[in-house]
Order: sequence, then C-alpha cells, then structure tokens
Amino acid sequence: MDAEFFKQGIVILDGAMGTVLQQRGLPPGGVPELLNLTDPELLASIHREYIAAGSQVVYANTFGANALKLGRTGKTVDEIVSAAVSIAKRAAGTQAKVALDMGPLGELLEPMGNLTFERAYELFREVAQAGERAGADLAVIETMTDLYEAKAALLAVKEHTGLPVFVTMSFEADGRTFTGCTVASMARTLEGLGADAIGLNCSLGPDGLAPLLRELCASTRLPVIAKPNAGLPDPVTGRYDMGPEDFAAALLPCLEAGVTIFGGCCGTSPEYIRRLAAALEGKAPAPRACDRPAFVCTPPHPARIDGVRVIGERVNPTGKKRFQQALLEDDLDYILDVAVQQEEAGADILDVNVGYPGVDEAAMLPRVVKKIQSAVSLPLQLDSSNPDALEAGLRVYNGKAAVNSVNGDLQVLDRILPIVKKYGAAVVGLTLDPDGIPQTAGGRVAIARRILDAALAHGIPREDVWIDCLTLTVSAQQEQARETLKAVRAVREELGLQTVLGVSNISFGLPNRGLITQNFLIQALGAGLTLPIVNPNQREVMDAVAAFRVLSGEDEQCRAYVDRFAGAPSAPAPANQAKQDMTLEDAILRGLRGDAGRLAKQALDAQDGLSLVEERLIPALDKVGEGYEAGTLFLPQLLSAAQAAQAVFEAVRANLAGKGDAPVKKGRIAVATVRGDIHDIGKNIVKTVLENYGYDVLDLGRDVPPETVVEAVKTRQISLVGLSALMTTTLPAMEETTRLLKALPEPPVVWVGGAVVTPDYAKSIGADYYARDAKQSVEIAKKVLG
Amino acid sequence: MNRPSVDEALRYLGAARADPELRGQAEQLADELAAALQPRYVWTVCPLVQAGDGFHLEGTAVELPGATAQKMLKGCGQAALLACTLGARFDAMLRTAQARDMARAVLLDALGSAFVEAGCDAAEEEISVRLPGLYRTDRFSPGYGDLPLTVQPALCAALDGGRRLGLTVTGSLLLNPMKSVTAILGLSDTPQPARVRGCRFCALAGHCQYRKEGTTCGC
Repeated sequence: MDAEFFKQGIVILDGAMGTVLQQRGLPPGGVPELLNLTDPELLASIHREYIAAGSQVVYANTFGANALKLGRTGKTVDEIVSAAVSIAKRAAGTQAKVALDMGPLGELLEPMGNLTFERAYELFREVAQAGERAGADLAVIETMTDLYEAKAALLAVKEHTGLPVFVTMSFEADGRTFTGCTVASMARTLEGLGADAIGLNCSLGPDGLAPLLRELCASTRLPVIAKPNAGLPDPVTGRYDMGPEDFAAALLPCLEAGVTIFGGCCGTSPEYIRRLAAALEGKAPAPRACDRPAFVCTPPHPARIDGVRVIGERVNPTGKKRFQQALLEDDLDYILDVAVQQEEAGADILDVNVGYPGVDEAAMLPRVVKKIQSAVSLPLQLDSSNPDALEAGLRVYNGKAAVNSVNGDLQVLDRILPIVKKYGAAVVGLTLDPDGIPQTAGGRVAIARRILDAALAHGIPREDVWIDCLTLTVSAQQEQARETLKAVRAVREELGLQTVLGVSNISFGLPNRGLITQNFLIQALGAGLTLPIVNPNQREVMDAVAAFRVLSGEDEQCRAYVDRFAGAPSAPAPANQAKQDMTLEDAILRGLRGDAGRLAKQALDAQDGLSLVEERLIPALDKVGEGYEAGTLFLPQLLSAAQAAQAVFEAVRANLAGKGDAPVKKGRIAVATVRGDIHDIGKNIVKTVLENYGYDVLDLGRDVPPETVVEAVKTRQISLVGLSALMTTTLPAMEETTRLLKALPEPPVVWVGGAVVTPDYAKSIGADYYARDAKQSVEIAKKVLG
Repeated sequence: MNRPSVDEALRYLGAARADPELRGQAEQLADELAAALQPRYVWTVCPLVQAGDGFHLEGTAVELPGATAQKMLKGCGQAALLACTLGARFDAMLRTAQARDMARAVLLDALGSAFVEAGCDAAEEEISVRLPGLYRTDRFSPGYGDLPLTVQPALCAALDGGRRLGLTVTGSLLLNPMKSVTAILGLSDTPQPARVRGCRFCALAGHCQYRKEGTTCGC
C-alpha cells in the first residue's frame, strides 16, 4: 500500500477499541489511554486480531490522548501517543497502516462552551505532532459532533504534519449532529479544508447511517468512510443489538452508495471485521455521481446556490455613522443586531465588512465573525482587501465562507487566492484590473475568464468562483447599465459561473432611487444575476426577489410568495386610528418596538434626545417596573418594555450621531457571570434592562476570570460592577472577584445576584449590594450613578 | 411527541398568574420548541453495593457518598442512572433568541427547563415499562441534599454521555449543554418510601421566593 492507498479500491479499517477493552475487563471509569503504558500486550493483541480479521488500518489507542483529558493522569501527550503508536506499529508490521486516532477534547468549544477555537487547535496540534514523531501513517479525526472542533483538529494536522488525514463525524438519525451540523455542511467544509477522506462513525448502526452516507457521497468528491456501531445498545443489558453477520450485510447498501472505506465502531469486535471483509471480498467500488452546486454554509445552514440568494450588505461602515461609532467603541452587540435584522428580513448570506480608519481590521474581523456566528446561522461573505484580515476571519469562521473580493490584477490574485484555497472558501472576482473597469461587456467577460483561470490554477473548484460584473451609476454613465447586464448574461451563459452585483449603486444621484434600484434588480435577475448584494431591510427589494422566484420556478407552487403576501394588503393601508393615537408611553408599556422607535423619531423633531429620555422614556419604564414589583406584569413583559425602550435609545443615538454629538450616557457599568459559570441569561436580562435606563453597560460575558473584571475596571473607567453566579460551585469565584475589586486603589461599587446568592452572602463577601432581579439592579444603578 | 408544560414554565418565571396574552405567547413558543427539537435521554441499570458509608455502582466509577444517597438507596439492590438533555441545539436557539428578543428568550429558557424535566419523565416511564417488577425511588441528582456535584463526571462517563448525548461536564462541574440533567433512581423489590422531591428537601427552601409568596415551584 502506498501513501494514497485510500484512493484505490476498498479499504478495511478496524473495529471498536473501547467496548472491546470493556469486555476484556478494563476497570470501569479508567482512562483507556493509560493502558498504553500499563498493558501494551492487551492492546497489541487486539490490534493483531483486527489485522488477522482483515483490517488494513488499525487505530492506535489515542482517542482521548489530549492534554485536556489526560490532565489528571499526570501523563504527557507525548508519552501516551508515542507508546500507543509504537504498540500498534509493532502489531501491524508491514501488514497494516497505523492511524493516530484523535477524538473530541471532551469540553465544548465556544460559543457553546468555554474552550476557544485557538486553544482547541493548540491541544490538537500537540497530539498531531506527537503522532507523526511516533511514526503514525495517517491521522484520523473521529466521533466529532461539532464541525468547529473538527476544523480545529484538521487545521492542526495539516499545518503541523505531512500525514494524510481522515475525518469522521457522528450523526443522529435526523441527519444532524448533536450540535445541529448537516451532512452537506460537513462535506463541503471539510473537503474545502483539505481532508483526504471523510465519513461517518459511531451513533447508529449501518442501516441507520446508510441514507446519510448516500447524501455524503453525493456531496463530496473525496473517498467516503463508514464506521458504524453494531446497532444500538440495550439500556438494561448494555449489549448492542446487531450481530456480526447482520452488520456486514447491512454495510452492502453503503458500498452501493459509494463508500469505499469500511470499519466498525462501538459494539463491534474482530469477528465483525472478519464478516465485513468476507462480505466485501471481490466487490468493486460503486460509481459515484457528485452533485456540486455553488455552496456556502454554516454547520446548521447549508446554502446551495441553485437559485437567487440574497446577500445582505448592511454589516458595513461605509456611509453609516452609527456603524462607524460602534466599530470605534467596540460595540459588537450593535453589529450583531444589524446582522440579526437582515436575517429576519430574509437575507440568505451576509456580507461582513469592518474596514474603517482607526480599526485594526485583522483583529476586528475574526471577533465580529465569532460574534455574529454566536447567534446568526446564515453563511457569511468576508469583505476585505486585507489578506491578514481575511486569513484571520476565515480561520475562525465555522463552515464554508465566501470572500469578497479579488479582481483581475494578477498581484491581487496571487495574494488572496492561496488563502481562499487553504480555507476552502468561495471567492468573488470583480471584473476590473489595473487598467480600470472595461467599458464593454466583452472586456469584463475577458477579466472574468482571467480570474477563473487563476482560481483553477490555484486548485479552487469552478463552482467556488463568483463574478461581479460591476454596477455603475446610471445617472453618470447611462450606457453602462446595459453593458453590465450583457456581461452578467455572458458570464452566466458562457462561463456557467455564479454572478454577484452590488445593486443599489445603480440609482445614486437620482430621485426615487428605490424605483430605479428595483427595476435594475429585476432586469439583472432576468439576465442571470444569482447573488444580488442588497439591503434586505428594503421591502421593495425583497418583494422583487420574491416575485422573481415565482416566475423563475424556484419558488415551487409559489409557497414562499403566498406566505409573504397572503393576508397582507397589496398596497400600504393608511395607518389605523388606534396607531395614530398611540403615544410613545403606550408603545413602551405594551412592548411594541417598531412603534416605539417610530414615535421616538417623530418626537425628536420637537424635543432633544436627553429630555426625551428623562421626561418620557424613564417615567414609562418606571411604570412598567412598578407593575412588575406589584406582580401584575412579569419578566417577559418587563423585557418587552425594555426592548421597546431600546428602540427609543437607538433613535436618540442615531439622532445624536447624525449631529456629531456625544451619545447620551449616564455612567459606565460592567457586568459579568463569574469564572466557572456558563449560565448567563440572568446577567443578560440585567444588562438589557440597565441599557434601557440609559446606562452604558460593558458586558464581559460568562465564565469571566477575576483578573479580567479587574482589568476592565482599571482601563475602562467603570464605577459599578455587577457579578452573577448561578451555582454554588462558582460562588468562590464571585468572592475572589469581589475581593480583588475591593483591593483596588479606587474600588468600584459591587453588586451581586444569581440563583444561589443571598443578601447575607453578599454582605459576607464584601459586596456593596445584593439584587434579587433586574429591577433591583436598576435601583442600585440609580443610587450609585444617578 | 413530547411538549414542554407551559404551566410549569410560567411557574419557573414567577408568572403563574400570567395574562392570556403572555400565556398565548408561551403556548406558541412551546409548539415551536417541540417542533424544533426533542429531549434526548439514555439510561442504564447497575447493581448497587454498599461501600464504606456510601454506595458503589458496579461496572462504573460512580461512588455515592452522604446522607441523601443513604436515605434514598437503602434497601435497593440496583440503581438506574439516567441523563437527559435538550442538546447544544437548544443552547443555540436560546442564543439566537437572546440576540433578537430577550422577552422571548426568558420564556424559551423556562420552557427549556420544563422540557428537560418532561424528558426525564419520559425516560422514567420507559424504565418502568422495561422493569415492571421493580419499585422506584424518586429520581435525585448531584447537588440534591448532600450528594456532591463531584459525582457528575463519573455519572456522565458511566452513561457514555459524551458519545451518546453530546454531554460534557465543565471544570466547575456543570453540565453542558445547559438544559441537561443526570439523575439516579433506586430500584428495589419492595416499595420505596424515601422521597426527595418537595420543599422539605430543597436547599433553597430558607429563602425561596415562591414560598414567600405562599406558593411552591411545583417540584
């Protein structure tokens, strides 16, 4: 077998290690990796049995051999991995290859848990390097349920070793992993990142995995691996319900689906592999047909570009004062909010641009990517010309992203395309070059060809090249609208590539811009535009897309169109009487965000922001607070009112930013959920309510080390700190944080709260106040900051 | 298909007397949640042996020290271990809800708590069907009474919770994903009088807001 053995014919892997060790008396609760040091012969005998049964690859006993899991054993990764690989190599001789086995780290990655992507990468790097040093023939990343963790591991292997690498993930019968990853997202992301073979292991029997394997084979060009369980375990007896013969028979449909690499996971044994090898004897791999539309994704959201996909343009500071202010003030919550609004408005992909003077783009882009991905599932298009920023953003992106953009300049192509290739992204190519924008469609198509050729030469597949034929302002260069449309048609028809256009440029400088923009959009879609970059919050834009999808046949049986418009008046109705009579106070009390924002904008024509807040907003919020105290209103209603108030604040801020005034701020507060605690909804409730009383709240997040809180207080002029803890196990961290804060030369006021915190406890640790809920927190803030 | 109890969720929120509008929102959200995901659970049965002043669960590394375990498991020859979770997908839903609408998020959070309890009930029901001859104690969890949270990692490992449910235990002994429960039930040939549910057994009873208002959380 040569290094590329897995590309040739059928390959047989081994079966379970863990459940076999249990059958052979592994002490319960023991760390199986320690056996590499204590009982090498037991492991060698299992490897030998698998090889005798027909395994061509055996997995060294390193599934949990990472520093996180080995932490308490006192053994190093290097000791365990080198022992495990040596045992397997001695057992294998020249008969089989030895795989370094890398399982999940055992803690959840951000945003689900506290383990950062960067730390996960470092943990995997240590394992991968130890495995290569010890002489492993390949690396296998397996039993992953989080695509982000799989990406960290895959990058670590690829960047630090020369080993071929397989990645297998565990899916449930509903076609998702525990974290919600889809088969298509897994396939396209891991293939893009350079895995050598991918597949499924664990969780289900071969019968349960077969339909998912069919989907996987259709989604990737890579060899596909099946390593299923021996069915499901019985809770009373612990036995798996599928025998060796049934297991082998049930794998044959997987062969027909295109799988070429076979093995077994939990509940299997050498006997299962023997039957499997016999069943596959003399069989040839099935022909594969791969369906590869253009594609971007996040784990839960695969976006096939097989129709019109709207790219939202709003995460961008250009011409937007409020967004610029958010970037300069590090207000990532505002940026997330802009992303959330576009998702709600129906965007399919979000363009993300954070380039602005005074902003370190290479540091900011990955932070914004993480922030948006923590709460928005849409795929992102990273928009920058800075290669460092693009690399940093693509690295932490979870899924397959797009990059905006390159152009026909060979220097730009050589700088950006290697990054696009490395991270498996799609790329937008602008049809311009150092000589400018060609004035003819033919000139632009020629540049498109140049970009396509360069991408192919870098190993980027054709479907990942998207071309932007450039929208020019029609009031300035009227004939260019037709050239752009001609170029779009040619790129689509002659090159078969996806087409991108920033649509709204067209109408610049004209009255009634919306009409021109909408008409141009419709004509461009007709010419073959598939990826319009627009503001999805503009109703007429999304209406045009909805109508186009009906006429193109993409919206089958007009379902989405009917959902969008059924029951809605075809023309805007005059505002009804009740709405006209509604006051700002009513809107806040009833928690109507849209109305509160609208009424605040109206009020700002006659009243300045500060007096609007003091004279109308705060009294209305106080009234809600009284209802909450009296038990006639409940937490969800308190929060609805707070969010309506937020809309008022946004109107005030936008008004001030427009005038260049400083925003209304009453004083700065930091809030944090203490170290060790991951339950942060209570802290988030307090933050939401405080912000809507006009306080500037710095949210330090959850699981926050005491030192981070102290640092924030020192550097950000904070005079009031709120700490939250939900569990008794995390109270000591609350105490430590309070103690460190109180030891500062100018100690802030500290208030504490959370399910297990009591007034007595607050006093005992030296906190100044205890708050039972968000309402009491506001009282404290008023007392301290006014 | 399982669905979270809206009454229970509103009680968790201290909003048992919610008006019809709020209750209606909760009902709708309960439907959305149940359509989006279902609680997942695994369980197993182990022989129980007295070991020192606690119990050992045979075939696992689980040791159950303390008075709570003594009282609950006295006379039981076996114990069922169970773990139930809404999974990381619920946590993602909750993060999204918090970014969009905190009012909706707190309702969803409370519904999640009620839902994972409903999942535990379903698991218990399955246990009773599979083991019809045995009597069960109340289910109890690390953190109840004096049963320490340090039991959590071994309990999770005994159930293979990582592989089978995506369950992890953090360094501070919290379960992650957040809406997750591990629990133990004593199994015996004779009826079991020992109970842990109710205010008498709750560590928070001394300063519980429900009790101050003359109600209970319903546990």
